[in-house]
Amino acid sequence: MGGGGFTMQERSPALDRLVLSLTGKPAPRICFLPTASGDEREQTTRFYERFGAWPCELSILSLFHLGRDRVDPVEHLLAQDAIYVGGGSMRNMLAVWREHGVDQAMRAAWEAGVLLAGLSAGAMCWFEGGVTMSGGAPESVAGLALLEGSLSVHLDGEPHRLPAYRAAVAAGYLPSGYAVDDCAALVFAGTRLTGCVASRLGARVLRVRAERPGEASVQKLPVRLLPGVQPSSPEPEESDGVSELRALRAGRHRWD
Amino acid sequence: MEWGNSLLDDHVLSLTGVQRPRICFLPTASGDADHYVVRFYRAFPASRCEPSHISLFRRETGVGDPRVHLLGQDVVYVGGGSLVSLLGTWQAHGIDLALHEAWRAGVLLCGGSAGSLCWFSHAVSAFHEGEPRRIQGLGFLPWSNAVHYADEPGRRSAFINAVAAGMPSGYGVGDAAALHFVGTDLAEVVSSKCGAHATYVCPDGNGGATERELPVRFLGEPAMGVGDPATELGEAVAEVAGRSVATEVGGRSEPALVEGGAIAA
Repeated sequence: MGGGGFTMQERSPALDRLVLSLTGKPAPRICFLPTASGDEREQTTRFYERFGAWPCELSILSLFHLGRDRVDPVEHLLAQDAIYVGGGSMRNMLAVWREHGVDQAMRAAWEAGVLLAGLSAGAMCWFEGGVTMSGGAPESVAGLALLEGSLSVHLDGEPHRLPAYRAAVAAGYLPSGYAVDDCAALVFAGTRLTGCVASRLGARVLRVRAERPGEASVQKLPVRLLPGVQPSSPEPEESDGVSELRALRAGRHRWD
Repeated sequence: MEWGNSLLDDHVLSLTGVQRPRICFLPTASGDADHYVVRFYRAFPASRCEPSHISLFRRETGVGDPRVHLLGQDVVYVGGGSLVSLLGTWQAHGIDLALHEAWRAGVLLCGGSAGSLCWFSHAVSAFHEGEPRRIQGLGFLPWSNAVHYADEPGRRSAFINAVAAGMPSGYGVGDAAALHFVGTDLAEVVSSKCGAHATYVCPDGNGGATERELPVRFLGEPAMGVGDPATELGEAVAEVAGRSVATEVGGRSEPALVEGGAIAA
């Protein structure tokens, strides 16, 4: 996901519902990892709010508050049907994952058929690389490389990412990949892209490809609107001030 | 940052010898929890110091270059939480190197719980899954450390067993007690409460490990009729306490105050 879902307080639950339905299980076990935000409480609460109403078995894996539950993070992840990774600082998330062996566990879970999902930092981490704002300015960062290529997120929400991403692909710092709007998502089966979906009309996915040295082409990919989303009534446009207030109230930090 | 007891906080500020010390809080081990940052600013108001904090999860909001900021401090205060997550995040931002540089330059480093364990070569932390386990710290202090010692079940025995199994000798620190190092040597143990404990654990030469209780100086006024716990604990342990030597590097001492206080996220 380039953004959207419960952590960003998206009103449409379509993307979150898709995560559950893709498991193919009547009551899937789903675990949320808020590592990239430092295990922010707001995100945890919203996870229960959104998924609590659906038939599934919920859990949170908190790497900053592990002491409370005393679970083995690796075993716990391998026992899931779906793993949902939240947004925040991609650099911090991967560093903390490495220390806890969660990076290896993610690969093992993926190879065992566990569905991996996420938004923002939680989406870029599956690729070879992404664009992080963890240091303030946009810069390339390596991911877990389960999927080939690279990803850039919040295409519409944070417009300064695309030029940085395009430049990184053109210069060869990042391999060719995708730039994704908030509320749009890529769906992969194994390492193959099976389609692009969206929970909002007009949400885009761009294919960004390295061409001749120093150049990157941008091509719009077809996006399918998810069931239950009204094509005629997109979410009303918000002024910057309203968005900022909402982000502030939500404790949301949109830089990854 | 104990509730209603500022003795250790006051002591940290007084050790700088500066009228209005610059003190920077690193809440990394808690995932930069908001409530913890608020608690820091309440404990260290601008009336008595120049407080700041560095959030590594929200780099865009805070200070510019963390290294430059840390080097400009009189005190760096590290909060509690997960030691493993703390070390991983610091490495990703080069904070480990910056802190070493700051320490060598004479900045006072202190912290509670994970914020204590991190300075040592090894720590035994019960924070994570299963049994308490041995974790490698930054190694500024060549000893090992355990906190909430004897306050939480399993910590004491795990620490003693780890030292017996070859972990460097070190210090088990109870809640409200704090180790004060000058350079890499223990200068004294202070406390914010009467009866706080600190223990030195070293190999006994027979494949096991032995504990020696350390004298603790209570920082507050002794209550009437109650003896000073430091004198009560006796002089049998003077050997350890007596090793305190002020280490001068570049003309400045390099103290580290390490708190075993109950500071948890």
